[in-house]
Amino acid sequence: MISIQNASKTYKNGTHALSNISLEIKEGEFVYIVGPTGSGKSTLIKLLDGEEVPDSGLVMVAGTNVGKLRHSKVPLYRRNIGVVFQNYRLLPRKTAFENVAYAMEVVDTPKDQLRKRVREVLKLVDVADKSNSFPDQLSGGQQQRVAIARAIANKPKILIADEPTGNLDPKKSDEIIRLLEKINKEEGTTILIVTHDSTIVKHHPKRMIALDSGHIVADLAKGGSIG
Amino acid sequence: MRILRRFGRHIKEGFLGVGRHFGMSVSSSSAVTITLLLVGVLLALTYNLQIATQSIESSISISALVSYDAEDEDHLKRITAELEAIEGISSVTYSSKEDEFNYYVNSNQDEDLREFYENYREDNPFHDAFIIGLDDASLLESVKTKITNIPGIDSVYDGGENTYTLVGVLANVRLFGGALVLALCLLAIYLVYNTIKITISSRKDEIWIMRSVGAKNGYIRAPFLVEGILIGLMGSLVPIALISFLYTYLYRKLEGNLFGAFFLVPPTPFLFYMAGILMAIGVVVGFLGSYISVCKYLRVRR
Ligand SMILES: Nc1ncnc2c1ncn2[C@@H]1O[C@H](COP(=O)(O)OP(=O)(O)OP(=O)(O)O)[C@@H](O)[C@H]1O
Ligand SMILES: [Mg+2]
Repeated sequence: MISIQNASKTYKNGTHALSNISLEIKEGEFVYIVGPTGSGKSTLIKLLDGEEVPDSGLVMVAGTNVGKLRHSKVPLYRRNIGVVFQNYRLLPRKTAFENVAYAMEVVDTPKDQLRKRVREVLKLVDVADKSNSFPDQLSGGQQQRVAIARAIANKPKILIADEPTGNLDPKKSDEIIRLLEKINKEEGTTILIVTHDSTIVKHHPKRMIALDSGHIVADLAKGGSIG
Repeated sequence: MRILRRFGRHIKEGFLGVGRHFGMSVSSSSAVTITLLLVGVLLALTYNLQIATQSIESSISISALVSYDAEDEDHLKRITAELEAIEGISSVTYSSKEDEFNYYVNSNQDEDLREFYENYREDNPFHDAFIIGLDDASLLESVKTKITNIPGIDSVYDGGENTYTLVGVLANVRLFGGALVLALCLLAIYLVYNTIKITISSRKDEIWIMRSVGAKNGYIRAPFLVEGILIGLMGSLVPIALISFLYTYLYRKLEGNLFGAFFLVPPTPFLFYMAGILMAIGVVVGFLGSYISVCKYLRVRR
């Protein structure tokens, strides 16, 4: 499903964010990406999302060469993947409901089906009572959950989440991870999660890829053996 | 159905956009207002000039006098046919030497003089003549030469160099007015582009987020375009109202005359056309201004 071969990314200011990364993620896998701050985790997600282009190497997602996509085709590609960004990226002038609805409107979901699904996902992440609030009226944790709801609304083949529990208390974090596990199992969605939260990794053990200074320093299969 | 629903959504978002950035919308449309006001005034001027020029042009005519040895019917028929074959001629009117004589005699006020002229009726010194109307004053010289070359034509006269020069000047003024209107439209586009750019710059993150959840460029652009069109329409309202009012007032005050020489074009239907043109310019300017600026921000990030 995801195949990265010898990909490197250096930002314009000269920061080497990723150096010669290679990794394979199969359909239906559930993978954690861990590493210290500044190790290149978000950059990896930006490569997968098509927001950044690798300087060298190949990024293939669901059969698409993401780095070679034309600018105008990038949004179409993104309809295959749901991304929860580290800074949520909610539309400031739209309510929680409208934010989730927007992602479904762009793919022309019929109105009643859309309403039903938006309510459903907001309920799944437990922010249904905040449907009509604007992002600046929501707490960090609530915004994060709206972003998760938006990412799963279209039932994407791949779900990528940058610190989806970063602003949540342990109980809420656990709920969210359980929800993602359920989506992974029931929908067969491939899931990629960036996290700092060692409790989650401990309680919900999965394959874990560790980054440090732009290098992959470990790729541990579920249970801890080096894969 | 799907297209219609989408269309409705874009329109709604466009209206909401104008409402949410009302201050910005007002400042954008006042940029349109000022330029359209100038455009409107220029339009009124150039259109009136155009009409004035046309009426002068249509009064330009050439007289071709027939030689005494070509006054029989066969010659006259042939000359008429040859005249009508010349390009740029709008009318050919025959006037016999008797008509010419009468016209000349009757144009004299003096009773005694008229009587005196009557002595010459038997020995009429006038020529049979053709009065020739032209499509366009600029053809005057070439048509004159062609007529002179027709066998049986004795001599050719025209209204004189002065009318010809006046027509030329008016044509230049008109051209200059047209160029100015065009330049002002470009200026309006630039102003709208600039103000909308500022509105949108505060929304460039929004544009980028829309892209990141799978909205295609056209989908993102649409509500901004609706917004631009609305701003352009809003901007055209004041100039339309103001110019309509002033023009009607002026027309009444001057009783349709300007410097005693030109006739002003009556307010209706002229002002309706003008309103239509100003609105259309407003719409196009608003559309282009926002189109250019959205495209710019769409490309900022992938
Ligand atoms: N747009 C950018 N321009 C320049 N340098 C950048 C940019 N984005 C990230 N970097 C740099 O690239 C490196 C990797 O950043 P990245 O955001 O991928 O780290 P991260 O692993 O996500 O960190 P965190 O856990 O704090 O989110 C850092 O040194 C960062 O300063
Ligand atoms: Mg990060």
